[in-house]
Amino acid sequence: MRPLGKAASDDDRPLIERVRKGDQDAVRALYERYFDRIYNYVYARLGRAEDAEDLAIDTMTRGLTRLDLFQDQGVAFSSWIYRIAHNATIDHYRRHGKVSLVSLEHAPALESADPSELAVEQMSNEDLHAAIRDLTDEQQQVLILRFFQDLTAAQVASIMGKSVGAVQALQHRALGSLERALQGGRSIDA
Amino acid sequence: MTPEVERLERLAERLRTVDPYVPPPGAKIRGWNLVLAAVEQSNTARSGVHPIRRLVLASLAAGVLLVAGAVAASADSLPDSIFYPLKGVLENTRGALTFGASDQLAYHLDLARTRLTEAQAMFARHRVDLADQALSGLDDQLNDAALVIQAEKQSDPAVGAAMENRLRQAIATHDAQLAGLQGQVTNPTALNAIMQARDRAAQALQTAARNGKGNGNPGTSPNGSGLGNGTANSPHPTPKH
Repeated sequence: MRPLGKAASDDDRPLIERVRKGDQDAVRALYERYFDRIYNYVYARLGRAEDAEDLAIDTMTRGLTRLDLFQDQGVAFSSWIYRIAHNATIDHYRRHGKVSLVSLEHAPALESADPSELAVEQMSNEDLHAAIRDLTDEQQQVLILRFFQDLTAAQVASIMGKSVGAVQALQHRALGSLERALQGGRSIDA
Repeated sequence: MTPEVERLERLAERLRTVDPYVPPPGAKIRGWNLVLAAVEQSNTARSGVHPIRRLVLASLAAGVLLVAGAVAASADSLPDSIFYPLKGVLENTRGALTFGASDQLAYHLDLARTRLTEAQAMFARHRVDLADQALSGLDDQLNDAALVIQAEKQSDPAVGAAMENRLRQAIATHDAQLAGLQGQVTNPTALNAIMQARDRAAQALQTAARNGKGNGNPGTSPNGSGLGNGTANSPHPTPKH
């Protein structure tokens, strides 16, 4: 797995202060730090490169031009920018409908329906992405942020506005749903 | 570790190995150009108007709106309105900006008509005190008009005479209205105020009729004894109560 760069953290504050003072280098630093991550997140949610590009740019523009709305009161900038990306994704769904490019109904059938024999190592990345996009909104979020973005449960909790325990429980259910989805089952727990 | 947990761990590990979607370099450059342009525009907009300056501008705008609203509200206000003092200020301002004898006469006659309307409204509301004040204002305007005519007669007797005729017509109209009003009220104070107003109007006409060499003081005239002889030239065309 190729790294996405420095993990999102709370040490964005000095950069944010510089951005607020009009420091263009600080804007560039924040952009470099988050653009790939946001693009990756949005792409994983939508499954379309063109849409991901537009939404990632839109998210970064909103985030870096509306810092006056960002209050550093216990919520990190990283959480804030991911929330903007999440809202942009939801808006996109509302406007264009949720489109699953590789629906599980048309995905290649797996040979075994026995969970214990599910050969996840042999699955293609696209199959996994398609299966994730058929999960619920929160389940998608938690899996993408925890495993594709490599964020900690605490960071995901901050982004989703939940407790760490709730995120861990959600992650467990999401993995179970994904497993069943990969087996070809249609029953997905919320 | 249960079999289920083991399976889910394997699945989680598999997810961690999925290659991330990486934006094409062109997308990143395009994004940076757009973000930079938006940030610069945002900074320009913010720095263009300092927050305190914005507050001052907003306060000024609110003040202008407030004054404009008060002015609009005062234009037709009556003596019992809170906006009435503002109306007086506006009238005085208008008077200070009125030049030329003819325009000044028009100004005083206009205000005289306004005062009479106010007096009628105050009588209708049984505010005799305010009606009396309005009638005093009417007299003041007619006297000022008479003085303007007197001064004009000295410089141009013909124009002065024409202006006197305008005053005479205006007073005749007012007197007719006052006479009608006099027939409607029963309050002695109100009756007295109306009669005094008619007398003072007649005195103003006398002032205007002088050739301008006098002191402008119309002198005194007993009630109903002014020009009220019932002729076409009388300022009291209708008999007094």
